[in-house]
Amino acid sequence: MHLWQATLPICLLVSAALPVAATSAWGFADATVAVQPKGAGINGGFKEQFDSKKPLSKPIAFTDVDSLRVILTAKEGSSSKRPHQAFLLLKDERNGLDVSYPFTVKENGKARLELTQKELPIQFLSLADPIDARVVIGSFGESKAYDSSVFKLKIQRDANIPLPTAVTSRYGKLPEIHHIFKDSPSNPPIVITLAFTAAVAATLPVLGFMWLFLGANLGHLPTAIKSAPLPHAIFLGSLFSFEGLFFLYYTSWNLFQLLPAAALVGVVAFVSGSRALGEVQGRRLAGLR
Amino acid sequence: MRWCLALLLCGFLAAVNALSSSGSRLLVVLDESTDQSAYSTLWSDLKGRGYDVSFESPKSDKLSLFKHGARAYDHLLIIPPKSKGLGPNLTPKNILDFLNKDGNILLALSGKAATSSAISSLLLEVDIQLSNDRSSVVVDHFNYDTVSSAEKHDVLLLQRPGPLRPDVKAFFNGEGVVALPRVAPQTLGSESNLVSPILRAPATAYAYNPKEEMPAPEDIEATGSQLNIVSAMQARNSARFTVLGSAEALEDQWFSASVQAPGGKKTTTVNREFAKQLTAWAFKETGVLKVEKIEHYLATDGEVAPENLNPKIYRIKNETVFNIEVSEYNYDKWVPFEVPGNDELQLEFTMLSPFHRLALKPVGRTETSTIYSTKFTTPDQHGIFSFRINYKRPFFTNIEEKHEVTVRHFAHDEYPRSWDISAGWVWIAGLWSVIGGFLAFVLVWLYSAPATEKLKKTQ
Repeated sequence: MHLWQATLPICLLVSAALPVAATSAWGFADATVAVQPKGAGINGGFKEQFDSKKPLSKPIAFTDVDSLRVILTAKEGSSSKRPHQAFLLLKDERNGLDVSYPFTVKENGKARLELTQKELPIQFLSLADPIDARVVIGSFGESKAYDSSVFKLKIQRDANIPLPTAVTSRYGKLPEIHHIFKDSPSNPPIVITLAFTAAVAATLPVLGFMWLFLGANLGHLPTAIKSAPLPHAIFLGSLFSFEGLFFLYYTSWNLFQLLPAAALVGVVAFVSGSRALGEVQGRRLAGLR
Repeated sequence: MRWCLALLLCGFLAAVNALSSSGSRLLVVLDESTDQSAYSTLWSDLKGRGYDVSFESPKSDKLSLFKHGARAYDHLLIIPPKSKGLGPNLTPKNILDFLNKDGNILLALSGKAATSSAISSLLLEVDIQLSNDRSSVVVDHFNYDTVSSAEKHDVLLLQRPGPLRPDVKAFFNGEGVVALPRVAPQTLGSESNLVSPILRAPATAYAYNPKEEMPAPEDIEATGSQLNIVSAMQARNSARFTVLGSAEALEDQWFSASVQAPGGKKTTTVNREFAKQLTAWAFKETGVLKVEKIEHYLATDGEVAPENLNPKIYRIKNETVFNIEVSEYNYDKWVPFEVPGNDELQLEFTMLSPFHRLALKPVGRTETSTIYSTKFTTPDQHGIFSFRINYKRPFFTNIEEKHEVTVRHFAHDEYPRSWDISAGWVWIAGLWSVIGGFLAFVLVWLYSAPATEKLKKTQ
């Protein structure tokens, strides 16, 4: 009794819903999908039946030597009939790609489609995920059209054959470019520089000691100062200031500052030098050197 | 003073006529037999947005797109005539000349009758193709209006389109469905980057010639999203050519029709809003960019003196700042331009090829513009460089800016001094020890007494 009470409303509900569903919807029956490698016999390759309610669970491998064959019978309600639209729709949701292949349909609803990888758009060939293959059957009038996923197609390619590419230019942002600068000039290790600098600087004291060892002296300085004090002081001073001028030119002066100063010091050195060297000649003539 | 007044007057006029950024003269080419009042809401909407709408029949002798060699109109809207062709005054060449002179065109097609071959060849010029028989209609057994086309399924009900790509701004999006009766589909050439789809057919749609009973599989040229219902071509001069597959969609009866998709609820169409978005874009009320100001200068702390702005010459390895202000026109005013999500405004520093290509980042905004800026070091290569902005995107007018500057190498006194270079210390030490040795030698030569004792010993 309770069971009857419970089932009655359900029956009513179903009977209310049925007419809507039964205003005849498009669908199909006796569907098979076959993948046959080129040259394989009638029974070679893969073949499986599918129905309109549930898609095949496993993806179908589809290589570049295979041909895919889908056969089905289109039905409006329960009668076989030729629809206006019977497509195999390949769809990749992630990239928004879709392409349809129309079935060759006979008057009795028997539909057949053959497909090879050559017919696929090249954008599909590089997809890593399986493609959703849907059957779309529809026609004019009241009947509800059918569109549902029936199997998944996994595109496999020979890795040795390069993918055809379609480079089309589209306006968009371009990759960033950052200029690669040349390496700035580098110095040798500071230790080596210091060692060689020390070696070069050491030549001056070595020279001094050698001269002293060979008997160099300043023994005639008092005599020279006594006989010609001014020329000697000025001559030496001008020589030292020449070096000073060069130092200034090296650090901060420019050529136009150096030249007049050097000319002035040069004249002074010439005049005082001739006097000072005259004194030196006097010493030589006196047999002192 | 007079100049100021003129500017004020211009501003005042612009405020009064809130309208397209490129003029208000709109010519509607409409067959006499076509009822003009069928589109009355569209005309009143366009007039309300400030257009001077004038109507001409394609057969009229007075119809001319040019006057004294200049454009007589700023925009052109063509409703397909029932008769063949557009007449002698609207040849494809005339229409392309109009486009080349910065005129904008909105061409409506209709799947009711075969499209004329003149229009087909015009569309081929802009890389938009019609179907081979030029009389295809798009049908979709999943997205049709059950009220008006329960049998024929040729009134498509579609959502308004979102962005074309993640990095492209959506100009036509929004809620609600658009009814598109008897669409003549277009396919786009894949080679051109000037054409872009505005509204594509759903994946389950296909096109067929209604005169034929059953389409043979080999007659089906394009399906699904390869079929375009609305497409656009923006030429290199930023003039716009828009193709609407269904002229009927602009009619009053579809502006607020009550429609119902199979298995859906009854809704009212949003054709009126979509027509507004479409005509606004086609006639340059939206998606128009303008560069307000460009500044570049040496990077410094604090304010840059005006005389140091935009120098003609830079040195290699200079820290340089580049600023650009960009505005976007939005229906009736200039607003700050925002770069769409994944996109970037890029600066190139170029001599023959770009040495730097850098993203410009927004750093501030004024009332009408956004300031984009970047900072970079000029390359270690002297020559004539240019700052280049080449911003071309679907649905935006092009920005092409080129500002030339000289990049010189280091001057003689800009290199580091020799004592800063540790490798030079050996040579400096050598130099000064020679100088020291010379001075010591002069002293010894002048004042050394002969080493007499030692000489005697050796003798």
